[in-house]
Amino acid sequence: MPRQASRAKRTLSRAAAFLFAVAISIPAAAYTFNYVVPDMRLPAAQSGGSACPVPLRVLTTAGSVNRRWSTVLGASPVTILTADQTPDGRLNEIENTILESFAVWTGVSGSTLTPASLAPLARTSTQNACASDGANSICFDQSDAAFTPGVLAFTRVISADHLGAQLGSGPAATQIGQILDADIYFNPGDSRTRFATPAALASQPSAYDLESVLTHELGHVFGFSHSAVWSAMLFPYAPAPGTFTGSRPSAQQPDAPLSDDDRTGLRVLYPDSSDAIHVGEVSGRIIPANPLSLPDAPAGVTGIYGAHVVALDATTGSVIAGTLGGWSCGGAGPAQFDGSFLITRLPVGASASYKLYAEPLNGVVDPSTVANATATVCRNVSTDPGWPAPSSCVVPSVDTNFTVRIRGTP
Amino acid sequence: MSFAERRRFLWILFLIGLVLIAVVARATTLARLSFEDLAARADSVVRARCLSTESRWENGEIWTFSDFEVLDAPKGLVGGLITVRGLGGRADGFVSTVEAVPHFSPGEEVYLFLLPARTNAADARGPSFLVLGWAQGAFRVHRDARTGRATVTQDSAGLAVFDPRTRAFRRENLRNLPVEIFEQRLRAALARAPEQE
Repeated sequence: MPRQASRAKRTLSRAAAFLFAVAISIPAAAYTFNYVVPDMRLPAAQSGGSACPVPLRVLTTAGSVNRRWSTVLGASPVTILTADQTPDGRLNEIENTILESFAVWTGVSGSTLTPASLAPLARTSTQNACASDGANSICFDQSDAAFTPGVLAFTRVISADHLGAQLGSGPAATQIGQILDADIYFNPGDSRTRFATPAALASQPSAYDLESVLTHELGHVFGFSHSAVWSAMLFPYAPAPGTFTGSRPSAQQPDAPLSDDDRTGLRVLYPDSSDAIHVGEVSGRIIPANPLSLPDAPAGVTGIYGAHVVALDATTGSVIAGTLGGWSCGGAGPAQFDGSFLITRLPVGASASYKLYAEPLNGVVDPSTVANATATVCRNVSTDPGWPAPSSCVVPSVDTNFTVRIRGTP
Repeated sequence: MSFAERRRFLWILFLIGLVLIAVVARATTLARLSFEDLAARADSVVRARCLSTESRWENGEIWTFSDFEVLDAPKGLVGGLITVRGLGGRADGFVSTVEAVPHFSPGEEVYLFLLPARTNAADARGPSFLVLGWAQGAFRVHRDARTGRATVTQDSAGLAVFDPRTRAFRRENLRNLPVEIFEQRLRAALARAPEQE
């Protein structure tokens, strides 16, 4: 039966949930992040002394997110379409789209990623401005050796696995997992791929919406991996040509294009300690009724790994947040595969009530599709020569052979 | 509604719910390539086994190079050893993340739709390739440990979702297809694909 989980911290000690009673309107997974395990071969002053996986994040102190865009635009083919055809007007229109796309993310309440976190948007006329140089750049006419047909745009995020790591002219990392450089590349070489600003989209129905694609890529700049909530900004496929994701942003609601899943993910990555609304947590463990069903190898696995756990709004059935359960980590680490899950930053209040479900990744979901999120939580001597044994772990195979029942705290 | 009808209705709801749920943890912004698109646009299509992987800096970017032994080449004149390169990886204290780039593990068997890479590392063991459409052009072979049955799943398979606007499922991605069926589909798609100039 559905579990009603309301308000803050509710722990399910022998968790599980149900597969059933999931509203039909939720073709859903949820946001995911990429993790980095600190380099434990380095002294604790650089590694931080813990092998626990850390999600990738940008610094959010005032002006810490530098940003620039290259005004070098493709002429043959013209890949960025604007309503204003004058040289200055064209650049201004593109720049406004960029600014609006940033504002989508900084418009989310309950997050420390605010407009003040962003440095002013600079222009550069440098050809090939996107480079691993510590400057976060957006490039519309820079080819990359990795582009193939079928790839409209990508973001390359470079982060640090130890304190003090420095890339180009950027600042040295003061946090493990700190994003040091994030560049967005739009595919300039495919004559069939064109992007249009919001002002131009209506008259260019065969073009992709620049704002949707840019806002999506900025999600990666801020540390997101992907979501399979079809309406989420972090859904990996672009909206069809001539259409855009969600609603257009407005002064009243700058984050309008985002889904709740996107918003919750941002609050998890950049929690605001003064936020009194999104403080709900649901945590627990997913363990097998028969411990003998756990894998023999690697050693130390005590819970189900890789279950997909999602919190739904009990009233509307919409996905509020979700996670990929199966591990926990504390102290010096490394990750322990004990079946733990934790969903945080849920809104609380008199009407806030959630249903929780868990499912194995054996349906539409497949372990290979979440390999990035599941494979990055361990390092060992096989992946990194000289890796210290006490900080080693081996990621178990995703467990896909279970059904779930719910049990509260005994 | 009788109990049996209600149970059947709930069971259908449950199945629909499962189909609607799709998890994914990767991407960039992709334009969909159908299986036929992949077959037509790939320079080579191979079944191959990953031998080793290595990440390192090259031309200012971290790349991961995966060496493969080609087991079969349904399209293209490819044999022996090849290197598949993809953006991202971990090198010298930095972690480069590019969503939707397929990464491989030694021992893994895959079908790959390939394009020749524009650059070839000096120490490459064989010709270098990119995976066409990134996650869309990588199909992994899974073997059931008990039955030995092999199935094929596209890396982007988790992206098949229900579109409420069209009330239709997008079934363009392949998952858990018996390898024999996959090969039949592949041969058919290749036969329909126009000859490359």
